[in-house]
Order: sequence, then C-alpha cells, then structure tokens
Amino acid sequence: MLGEDVIELDRERRQRLPSWSEIVDGLRSATSDTSDTAVEVLKRAKGRPVLQPRCGVGGHAEMLDLLRALESAGAPDLLSVTIDSHTRLRHFATADRVRRENPAQLNGYPLVAHGWERGRELVAAVGVPLQVRHGSPDGRDLFAVSLAAGITSFEGGGIGYNIPYAKDVPLADSLRAWQQVDAVTAELARSGVVLERELFGSLTAVLVPPSLSLAMTLLEAVLAAEQGVRCVSISYPQSGEVHQDVAALRAIRAVAAEYLPADMTVFTVLHEFMGVFPAGRDWAEALVHYGGLVGRLGGADKVITKTHQEALGIPTAAANAHGLRLARAACSPLLDFVRLDEGRVAEEQHWIEREVAELVTPVLERPRLATAVEAGFAAGTLDIPFSASVHARADVVPLRDPTGAIRYHAAGALPLSGDVLRRQHRLLSHRTAALTDEILADINYFADRPPWTAEKGQVPA
Amino acid sequence: MRDTTFRPRRALVLGVAASDAHAVANRLIHLMLTEQGFRVRNLGVCTPLAEFADAAAELDAAAVIIGSVNGHAVNDLADLPGLRAMGRLACPVVFGGRPSIEVGGAATGRARLRELGVDHVLDRAEQLPALLDSILAPVLTHAG
Repeated sequence: MLGEDVIELDRERRQRLPSWSEIVDGLRSATSDTSDTAVEVLKRAKGRPVLQPRCGVGGHAEMLDLLRALESAGAPDLLSVTIDSHTRLRHFATADRVRRENPAQLNGYPLVAHGWERGRELVAAVGVPLQVRHGSPDGRDLFAVSLAAGITSFEGGGIGYNIPYAKDVPLADSLRAWQQVDAVTAELARSGVVLERELFGSLTAVLVPPSLSLAMTLLEAVLAAEQGVRCVSISYPQSGEVHQDVAALRAIRAVAAEYLPADMTVFTVLHEFMGVFPAGRDWAEALVHYGGLVGRLGGADKVITKTHQEALGIPTAAANAHGLRLARAACSPLLDFVRLDEGRVAEEQHWIEREVAELVTPVLERPRLATAVEAGFAAGTLDIPFSASVHARADVVPLRDPTGAIRYHAAGALPLSGDVLRRQHRLLSHRTAALTDEILADINYFADRPPWTAEKGQVPA
Repeated sequence: MRDTTFRPRRALVLGVAASDAHAVANRLIHLMLTEQGFRVRNLGVCTPLAEFADAAAELDAAAVIIGSVNGHAVNDLADLPGLRAMGRLACPVVFGGRPSIEVGGAATGRARLRELGVDHVLDRAEQLPALLDSILAPVLTHAG
C-alpha cells in the first residue's frame, strides 16, 4: 500500500523501506502490554487532557537522551519528534550533511536522514507513543519513514503546513501530497492500525481568529474524509481570552458533527499560547499554567505544552519537563472549582460556528474540494493573516478587543456576512491608533503586559 | 491620517532575506509603509538577493529594504559586492532586523553588513519612514 499508485515517494528511499506487511506489523506491535498507539492514549483523556511537549534535536544520541529525560522528569502522555527545517523542505541531503558534521546546528531531528531503523530506536526508548511534528508542504517521504519507524501519529495538512510555512508551493501540490498521506492513513486503519492525524490549526500562530483556524482544519478534515480517513485530531491555538478559547474548543466538536461523516472520530487539541512570550519566568509560567487550565475547561483531549523559556530560544529539557508539570497541575482536580460565565461562552460559540459556516459553505458547495480550496485562496475568499505564502493574499488583519479576544479588523475578501462584520467592528471600535502600532501591541499582548503593572486594555504603546 | 500627498511616487522594494521565512514583520512593515503613502513592491519571505536586484531594476526603485531576523543575514547578503560590481543594485540598500542572533553579536553583524556594502542598518521598523524620506527627498527635488 506504499505503492506508487497510492503515494509517490523518492525511488531510492522506497527501496530502503521495509515491506508494507512489515510496516503494518511494526505499527501493530505498538499495541501491546507495554505501549500504546497515540490514538489509544487520546481515548483515555475523558475530560482531562493528555499532555505532550514539543522536542527535537539533531543528533540521534542526543534525541534519545532528550526523550528519556522528558519522560522521567515530565511524565508526558505523548512525546514529539520535532523535525528540522531542512527535512521539512525536503532538503534531505543538506539535513544529512549537517547531522554528520554538526548536528547541534539543526533545529529538529532529521528523521529521514537518520533513517527508519533509528526511528525505531526512538520508539523503543520510551514508554509513550511518539508524534512527528514538522511543517512540510509535502511530507510524503517523511510520513513513509515515520510509519516504518513504528510512529503512530503524524501532524500536518495541505493548507496548514503550506500557507504559513512556504513561500511558493502551489496549493494544488501540497493538497495532493496530503491526499496521498491520507489515503495511506485510511488503508492502515483498514489493516487495524488507526493513526493520529493531527491537523495544524495554529497556522501562523500570530493573532489567528478562531473561526479562521476552525475553517481551515475543517476543510482539511473533509479532504481527509474523502480519502477514507475516519479519525483526526483538530488543533486550535490559545488566543489568550478564556471564553473565546473554551468556545472555540467546543465549536470544533459542533462543526465536526455538522460537516464530517457520522462515523468520524475527532479529538480536540489545544496548542498553548504560540505567540510572543514574556521574558520573565513567573509571568511565563503563569501563561503555561493558564494554557493547561483552558484546555481542561474547553474539554480538549490533548494539550501541547509550552515552557517558561519560550522568549529565550529553544527550551532545555528541564524547562520543557517543568512546563509539562505546570500544565498537569492546571488540569488536576485542584482547580475543578473554576467556573466560567457560560452565557458568554455560548454567545462566543454561536458566532464562531456561524463564521465557520460562512467561510466553508461556499467552498464545500463546489464539486471538487481541493480545486475549490485552491480557487478560494486565489480569490481571497479563503485567506490567513501574515501568511508566508504568495498563494494567500494576507488581506485579513486581526486585532484584540478590550477583553483580549481576537477579532477581524479587516476581513479582506472573506465571505463573512454583514451581521458578523458589524459585530466585529463594534467590538474593535476603541482601536483608533495607527494600525501597525495596534497590531504590534496585540502581538506583544502577553510580553508587554506583566500583570502587576497594567490593567487589561491599557497596553503599552 | 498622515501626509500621503507629498510622498514621491518612486517605488521601494521590500522583502525578507533568502533563508528567512518569518512573514509577520514583513507584512507589518508593508502595511505601515503603504499606510504612510509609500509605494512598495513586497517580494515577501525567502527572497534571494538577485530577485531584489531584478525588481529594483524593473521598477527603477529608490531603495531596497531587506529584513532578516534568523541570524543568517551576513550569509544571505554575501553576493551584494558581486552584484554591485556588475552594476546591479545601485540604489541604496537598507537592512532591518537582527543582524546576528548571538547575544552581543549585533555590533559585529552590523559592521559586517556595512563591509558588504549595505548602506543603512536599522534595528527598528519605526526608523524606516524618516530614512526613506531622506533617500527620496533629492529625487523629489529633482522631479520638481
């Protein structure tokens, strides 16, 4: 089933992979007394999110050490293999050269260069499942090597791993690559191995309006369903305003029930705040803790954790484990007394669901979805703010309202209704300074606003 | 709104250095300059120096503005002397961002960029409008 008719791979790499039946057996052996697949771990969440850190370094021995250190010091439910940027862009030869000469220069683990046999050593080194996290517009070879390594979770999709990450990869190419990944995922499920296929709703990770995140992952989920996939994880980036974030996490389930096949399992994932972190340790820790609590309040099945060192660079293993423990404490019964204004959450959720419907309905009504997505981005009826890609207009401009919730200041050509846009403009009527100053203040919302020096709404210029 | 009427119509070329995919600052600076009445062609992220030269020639640009925050700017701009020797990129080249990610490496990074022929090295986007006005001013006078 890794045949050329299903998924196109580099010819030499395909020849070095084990046979399909060996790959399936390897993935099945992940389901044993001593270990689980990623999906089995997610099923255990039941109201308290399972926790996973990001982690990846260039050297193999160093990666083994990192995974073991995080497992023993942070007790994660899942661990990540974060992939370096050369591999993400399919510069496999460069990744291979750098990992031989100076692996510390890589910003992640070059799994394709290290090879699937070493990937199996990573899987065997720890007692929790691994997920490959990357950012590849075309992740097909990386996917095949991940499967051969026995890794049961793979992140990405044809929109969220292209538009925020690559300058000039046509959507037709990335969507086609990910349709092939999904076709293999569906075939594996028929063989009894259900992968976690997480869709990356964080996009550019800067001031992403919730309905835009949900619309993009929903379209990717429908595309996956077309290929036969019946299990996806849909991730959403914490905005920082709790009612909006809880509403968005709940809205994932509502829109999934509306637009996805009835037999599709959907796990919800909260990415703890992905934007500019405060440099001070105590305020950064408060933000990490807050993220865990938001995930629990929103009923997320999984939370991807952050660390108090985000503002300083790539975190140490100790800081990463500490972030896991903070999130664990935030999700514990200790804070079960916390209640939100449910009316406010319901109001937010109503509008998020309405906005998602307005964004995706015109696309889903077209006969061929992948073509419709491509046409939508070309016309600006699908768009994301601050995109790296020339294939998105980036005419959408987000800002925070007085509570900190993220709103549409400018919606570009998005097909949002008058009712939606009037509400958005009303909520932003106080934002009258020069637009770039307002955007900068919002990007630095947490970094510039230590809780003991400023009230909400008094953002330093 | 600020004065947009009196800004010369001569084009500026904006973009991010070849190895850098950070789009947010680039999008913001494009927005800021457009709001203030500058005419900007934005080449976006991951732009090789030769593409800056091509766009500058095509538009007869008054200046080229290159951003980078990933610490590889000196490497990404290494071809500047070669291009200039061929008579390309004759207009002022403005660099903005972090010339080096090493702690305390900014001064060295700035010096190396100046050695390559970068005309102006800025570390804050807010410094851009005044600098661009000073670059555009003689053109305005000349154009009457």
